Amino acid sequence: MKSLEFKYRFGFSMPQNYVYKAKKGLSEKVVEEISFLKNEPKWMRNFRLKSYQIFIKKPLPTWGADLSQINFDDIYYYIKPTEKRANSWKDLPKEIKETYDKIGVPEAEKKFLAGVSAQYESEVVYESINRYLESKGVIFCDMDTAVRKYPEIVRQYFGQLIPPYDNKFAALNSAVWSGGSFVYVPKNVSISMPLQAYFRINAQNFGQFERTLIIAEEGSFVHYTEGCTAPIYTTDSLHAAVVEIFVKKGARVRYTTVQNWSHNVYNLVTKRARTDEEAVMEWVDCNIGSKITMKYPSVYLFGRKSKGEVFSIAYANKNQHQDAGAKMIHFAKETKSRIISKSISKSGGRTSYRGLVQIMPEATQSSSYVSCDALILDEFSRSDTYPDMRIKNNQVSIQHEATVEKIGEEKLFYLMSRGLPKAEAESLFVNGFIEPVAKEIPLEYAIELNRLINLEMSGSVG
Amino acid sequence: MKQSNSKAVEKKVFIDLNQRKERLLIFNQPGDYLIFFKNLSGKFEFIIKEKNVNLEIYGVYHGKIQERFQIETIQHHLAPQSTSNLLIKGVFDDQCQFFYRGLIRIEKEAQKSHAYQKNQNLLLSPDVFVDSKPELEILANDVFCTHGSTTGYINQEELYYLQTRGLTKKQAEKLIIEGFLSEIRGTILPDE
Repeated sequence: MKSLEFKYRFGFSMPQNYVYKAKKGLSEKVVEEISFLKNEPKWMRNFRLKSYQIFIKKPLPTWGADLSQINFDDIYYYIKPTEKRANSWKDLPKEIKETYDKIGVPEAEKKFLAGVSAQYESEVVYESINRYLESKGVIFCDMDTAVRKYPEIVRQYFGQLIPPYDNKFAALNSAVWSGGSFVYVPKNVSISMPLQAYFRINAQNFGQFERTLIIAEEGSFVHYTEGCTAPIYTTDSLHAAVVEIFVKKGARVRYTTVQNWSHNVYNLVTKRARTDEEAVMEWVDCNIGSKITMKYPSVYLFGRKSKGEVFSIAYANKNQHQDAGAKMIHFAKETKSRIISKSISKSGGRTSYRGLVQIMPEATQSSSYVSCDALILDEFSRSDTYPDMRIKNNQVSIQHEATVEKIGEEKLFYLMSRGLPKAEAESLFVNGFIEPVAKEIPLEYAIELNRLINLEMSGSVG
Repeated sequence: MKQSNSKAVEKKVFIDLNQRKERLLIFNQPGDYLIFFKNLSGKFEFIIKEKNVNLEIYGVYHGKIQERFQIETIQHHLAPQSTSNLLIKGVFDDQCQFFYRGLIRIEKEAQKSHAYQKNQNLLLSPDVFVDSKPELEILANDVFCTHGSTTGYINQEELYYLQTRGLTKKQAEKLIIEGFLSEIRGTILPDE
């Protein structure tokens, strides 16, 4: 239970002991340097350089959260923490181990969870690949290794779903990406335990640009989970990840994120999945930390009878803006999508649901259901809902509903009449409010989330 | 909410936007208002600046051939304890296009507001295009706001049932469309 204490919420940082640290700011030279240091093949180097050109040309998005405070010249784009990669827990550098102890990675290991791949700074330094995974033919490694060891697979999929010109931050990630996970699940292989990765930012002003690629072959199943925590710093950090997922015929992929960046991080992430025939993609997305989050996990339903789902929780406290949502693009017949979003704003925080459901002319007999509920806990906070439904054929059923409310006085009064203090009653209410989504989260994350909500709700304003 | 409306039906102020060409409506007198429009395009702002304003806003769209409707509605609550309830129903055929953006904005001062917004569309042809954006911006906490949007084809089972009763497909469709639109018609007609 030690791991469930939330001291880390208030920020801690370890002395930095980096082998290489690039200069602040971004230029063609920095991009070339990153590629050189990683000893990458030529195609990847060219991909990075091309992406950099797109990045400088692309404007910042004109919609969504306020990103004007990001200073791209004041960020380190690449840091390599240790020369060698550690294969087992014992080999990890002491301070990194301590950091993980505080977020509870060893606990997770003890619980026989699958391979732990923890990203410290921009590279995966620790990675324990379960023998079980290897025996099944599953590849689970960091992205840099994948580029070197499995170039034929990586090249086929990398950047195909989220090309660099998709948006400014996808371009930035494509130019300077480092670390992230690569998962390849062969045909008809089903991995029952979740694959886990932990991400951290630990250098001041350091942006983390991890790149994750998941390929689930026909009839396979995998559940990938990531949890983020970061210490608090005085200057702003940037996190711009790209996650691409290919779900082949009849396969199912679930991707769970519990995001708890410290309150100075810009979290601007592009996540997209593509489903083939009868495939199922599920995103479970919890955004609790960060200063600004802009993240809209999407599913491109290309295969007949495929299905996309997003469950999301957003929690915005003081000075936070969670601009999160989902996108479902129906390209094929008989496709289904469902989005369930729960958001809570408190002490001046702002949550925005932003979503898109698009039905292409070919996608007949398709259906989509969107439900977003928002809870506003005090008069300083704000909640927005910006859904968009574009329907291009008539053989469909599209539903959207949203509610905004406060904690019901009667319910609160009832709980208090049963002897609960106000703060506890409120926590109970909030936990009940998010329960439909929280139950989709793996148990240990769910417990952490529950504790976190209790902590956030415990009456301490600010 | 509904009960308080029905007892004062005769006192309702009826505003037909097709006749009054206004696009900006400011409500600074308490009272019940019923607003109606049909097949209009444009931006309509309903600004509530007084307590106890009760707005009912109904829009009907019936589009054929290559008609194109682009509509934006804003229910802007600047005063507390008022209600606005918007319902837009559309039936679209052929190559009709319908763009709808509806915003409910509740300012900080507008505590205890109730605001509702609903857009329902019935699509009769595979070539129609509908873009529906029901949006909320809520800056006060003691409010109740919901919005909903549904878009789809005529329920095939309903259609089949009516046909087994001897109606032709055309007649059955017509009946279902009439039923769909009657929710609004029923509210408006007694006053007309």
